[in-house]
Amino acid sequence: MSKLYKKWFFPFVLPAFAVFLIVVLIPFIIGIFYSFTGWRGSFFMGPNGRTTNPFEAFLGLKNYIAAFKQESFRSAFLFSVKFTVLAVIAVNVVALAQALLVNAIGKAVGIFRATFFLPNLLGGLSLGFIWLFIFNNIFTKVLFGKEGLIPIKFLTYMTDKDPNKLMFAILIMAVWQMSGYMMVIYTTGLANISDDYYEAASIDGANAFQKFFKITIPMLMPSFTIVFFLVLSRCFMLLDQNIALTNNAPQGYRMLAAQVLKVTNDTNGNYGIAQAEAVIFFLVVAAISITQTVILKGKEVEMQ
Amino acid sequence: MNNSVQTTGQKLGKVVMFIILLIMGLVTIFPIAFMFMNSFKSQAEIVDSPLALPKEITFKYISHAMTEIKLVPSILLTVLITVLAVGFIVILSSSAAWMMVRVKSKFAMFVLLLFTSSMLIPFQAVMYPLIAMFENVGLKNVPGLIIMYGGFGLAMSTFLYHGFMKSVPASLEEAAIIDGASVFQVYFKIVMPLVKPTTVTVIILNAMWVWNDYLLPFLVLGDSENKTLTLALYYAKMKDGPYSVPWDLMFPAVLITVIPVIILFLFLQKQIIKGMADGAVK
Repeated sequence: MSKLYKKWFFPFVLPAFAVFLIVVLIPFIIGIFYSFTGWRGSFFMGPNGRTTNPFEAFLGLKNYIAAFKQESFRSAFLFSVKFTVLAVIAVNVVALAQALLVNAIGKAVGIFRATFFLPNLLGGLSLGFIWLFIFNNIFTKVLFGKEGLIPIKFLTYMTDKDPNKLMFAILIMAVWQMSGYMMVIYTTGLANISDDYYEAASIDGANAFQKFFKITIPMLMPSFTIVFFLVLSRCFMLLDQNIALTNNAPQGYRMLAAQVLKVTNDTNGNYGIAQAEAVIFFLVVAAISITQTVILKGKEVEMQ
Repeated sequence: MNNSVQTTGQKLGKVVMFIILLIMGLVTIFPIAFMFMNSFKSQAEIVDSPLALPKEITFKYISHAMTEIKLVPSILLTVLITVLAVGFIVILSSSAAWMMVRVKSKFAMFVLLLFTSSMLIPFQAVMYPLIAMFENVGLKNVPGLIIMYGGFGLAMSTFLYHGFMKSVPASLEEAAIIDGASVFQVYFKIVMPLVKPTTVTVIILNAMWVWNDYLLPFLVLGDSENKTLTLALYYAKMKDGPYSVPWDLMFPAVLITVIPVIILFLFLQKQIIKGMADGAVK
């Protein structure tokens, strides 16, 4: 190995490492520490009053207990979990249907793929405003209102009258934005299934349903795992659509990401409790990602 | 399978499937087409007949939106931030990944492990201490914002470069070094051209994220004089309250925000879809 690499190793690696330390690692560690203190942003509120020393304002688990007692946090947590479960199912079903249909007709594949993919590239906040208009005017008046095409009360005034309706509205947007991306992953998975399997099955007299459930579905499992966790973490962390569709995510109409962002306003700048909620948020997201890695690693071993 | 002899049933099935796909495609396109159409209408026209075509093709509302929420400076600022942040990420991550592949020291392994595990950290977990830290040193501004994007984009990009560079043999570089090339010549003339596919992926993934991002500019810049496009949109909507949204302003403003991405997508469709899929599968 050339000496040149050794000589230049640190000049090339250290800038990235330093930026990483300053932007990610140090704030992360400070954040965990502050979640146990009475942090108020510019000062700390300890048991003995205002202080600038975080060690004097150490509160133990008090912020965490307060977070779990807080109505807005609990409802945001439940909202996120329920929404994520629904979104994982809905996005998967639509994406798989799109992939199978495009695969089956085998024509105009590029155009359909590009069309379904497009919404994924555009910002959740800006498109959220368009959807806000669609939900409050097209849905509420033209389509599903009392004098609309098909009166369905549940599909009117979806963004500010009932958290369950809002959940459904965000779900519609999430399916619209994400399914095309997931469809691409499924299409790649479908392309990797060799025609030999289908031909062999045909010779053995298998019908279309048998082929689908005995070949297509099992062979798509690796793609399914990727899509499952991608949608899971993206939906659990969803924020922009939530902000855009509601009037700045009031209490009860929040996902967890919006809760972490807005709780400092609700509590007059209690950053300690906000940070505790952020750490809980991190723990859930990390648990999802670690489960994914473990499952994917296990799959790789099976394939060999 | 013999495709030349299709039964009527199979043909009918394909027609039905095509129609289902067509409907799905139209539903997907509808909100975008709807936004486009309503960018040429007055507030009254939008609210009273949202589905009608505009009465006349006028750029009045688009140019009104451009002056009203100062879209020109916002576009310039967003372009500046995106270009600098993505450039910063590309240089930092490619140079670090290159050396980490060539020098397999314990420290290199440690950095890679640290970067990889940091992908578990959601932005929300670090945002408050990060903003407080940057505010203390006077970096709660545009330069600070670019550094923050650099830090958050690093881990994923280094990981992608590292994965690709592992399969690039060192022999070409070593030959150049023996010929007397400097480390920078090797990096710019040999390494970077070889890893171009990864660079395209890294640029696409990060540019989409920075361009569309709302939260980081909101926390760093807030309601200041300089706003990114997304931020300008946000304040235009929030200032007018929940019940009197100025739609004749919002539709053209959203149009201006998404049109660069749509045009880029039309030209670079294959690369973008491939890049995003690669980023997901890693």
